[in-house]
Amino acid sequence: MASYAKETFEFMKLALEQAKDALVNLEVPVGCVIVEDAEVIASGRNRTTETRNATRHAEMEAIDFLVEQWQKNGLSALEVSERFSKCILYVTCEPCIMCAAALSYLGIKEVYYGCGNDKFGGCGSILSLHTSCPELPSSELASSKKGFKCTGGIMASEAVSLLRSFYEQGNPNAPKPHRPLKPQV
Amino acid sequence: MKNTETISPQVCKIIHIPEKPSFLPHLQPTVNVLAAVIEPKDANTLVRKLNQIAPLENLRHVKRVLKKCIDGGKPQLSLLLCMAVENDGEVDHMPSEILELVKSYQLSTFITQVCKYAATSKEEWDEQCKLWPTSYHPPTYNISGITGFSEEESQSVFGFMRHTINLATSVGQVVNAAVIVDPSTKQVIASACDQVISSASLANEVSKEGSCSNYLENLKASNLENHQTSLLDSSVGEFKHITINVACVHPWRWALQSSGCGCPLRHAAIVAIEYSAARDLQLFPDHKTLSPLKRQKIESDFHSYQSLRPYLCTGYDIYLAWEPCAMCAMALVHQRVRRIFFSFPNPNAGALGSVHRLQGERSLNHHYAVFRVMLPEEVFRNKIAEAKISGSG
Repeated sequence: MASYAKETFEFMKLALEQAKDALVNLEVPVGCVIVEDAEVIASGRNRTTETRNATRHAEMEAIDFLVEQWQKNGLSALEVSERFSKCILYVTCEPCIMCAAALSYLGIKEVYYGCGNDKFGGCGSILSLHTSCPELPSSELASSKKGFKCTGGIMASEAVSLLRSFYEQGNPNAPKPHRPLKPQV
Repeated sequence: MKNTETISPQVCKIIHIPEKPSFLPHLQPTVNVLAAVIEPKDANTLVRKLNQIAPLENLRHVKRVLKKCIDGGKPQLSLLLCMAVENDGEVDHMPSEILELVKSYQLSTFITQVCKYAATSKEEWDEQCKLWPTSYHPPTYNISGITGFSEEESQSVFGFMRHTINLATSVGQVVNAAVIVDPSTKQVIASACDQVISSASLANEVSKEGSCSNYLENLKASNLENHQTSLLDSSVGEFKHITINVACVHPWRWALQSSGCGCPLRHAAIVAIEYSAARDLQLFPDHKTLSPLKRQKIESDFHSYQSLRPYLCTGYDIYLAWEPCAMCAMALVHQRVRRIFFSFPNPNAGALGSVHRLQGERSLNHHYAVFRVMLPEEVFRNKIAEAKISGSG
């Protein structure tokens, strides 16, 4: 743990603030920030309940904010791609398969996450979408699969305790269970 | 069953794509077991004892007893005792309780083979029983279509797929298209095309020439036996050129577009999910945002309101021209889609059988059924030709 730079924890704290904001708004508490040149350029938190769109994860919120900004500023596709290749994502929970695929498509530089995601995780838990395929010829690289460096376990207990408090209060949006829920361990 | 007939490119087909790759019926994996011929009068007692001391934990589909008729019509019973120790038929290597049983009934044991996995089709089952009898339970999870489609259902599926292919080829280029349908009312809930490439880029990238024929050869080649791999060979040349703007097939390619930026993640399925969520919000607004009077009315009618309102896309089907990538396939898990129908496999990045197989990831909290829909080649020939003409004009 001690080997991580101090700023790693500072940025993860900001991601946790986003997650807390989600919790207050009865959303699954996952939050993130995107950092470029040691500066936070976007943040996001889960908005699946509010939007009734279960794909509105924290990462997607932050990414869409950036793409929109960069489009407004008239950046070309290549420029957008270059910007993403300098970005580091700090997210409180391992990106799911959907988000991990998206991060690979964008060619993000690096990801730090809090707790693992043993049901949906796309950065090693269920699938490993962050690994690249180095055998490709360089001429194909621009349009082929990109990997990113991925480090988990940053302030994981804080991330887990937020998720635990959400599931203890119950997800008011989930459909009625078919079976009675198991008592909490 | 529908999905075992040979595929002719002239005929419409719906093929279920199961959770695990299927084995050719005669090539199913087997395991060695220890068995013995027994006296029929001892069968009941022995089976009961064995079920206690050596239950078939990982071979629940395998039956204990094999019955054969030997010369003269006299039945001969063989009893499965336990899994065989690897490379070893020695009696002293069996569990002590079974050894006792063998001794007290004076059984002479032999090694034989049984199929390792439960059969997933009648054909697999028939083949399994040639080795040693097994039980077969047709899929019980309640997603209609897995066990076959009625004529009416099939026609509806083909109709929606034609509509989806029309959409995929309607923008002057071949892209992916997604159509979310409520099958109970046959109503389109939302539909969308890829929005990854900006329209300015599309116009610049229109293919100069192209023969549909290679593409159609590829379609023809993609029949049942090799539907998971055939298009791997065809990811070169014309086929690649035609699919170059299909976001799920080339999800890393967005950065190469020549003008504008587009939206790298706006694949057809993602956009369609967004539209269906917006529709849900519009039809069933949040209580908080309503006027007090309206809120009162709704709350007094709360039960019918709740039963009308769908939870995400529960119960809905989605039609896609191309097999979705991992991002889209997982988005469809999150949004609780019931069934996915697609026409073309995606050997580059497909997540429903080609590269990944999300429908077989048991840890996920939702599982959809996946089908490939084969339409007659004329549908594609005409549509692709149209797209090219309108694109280059």
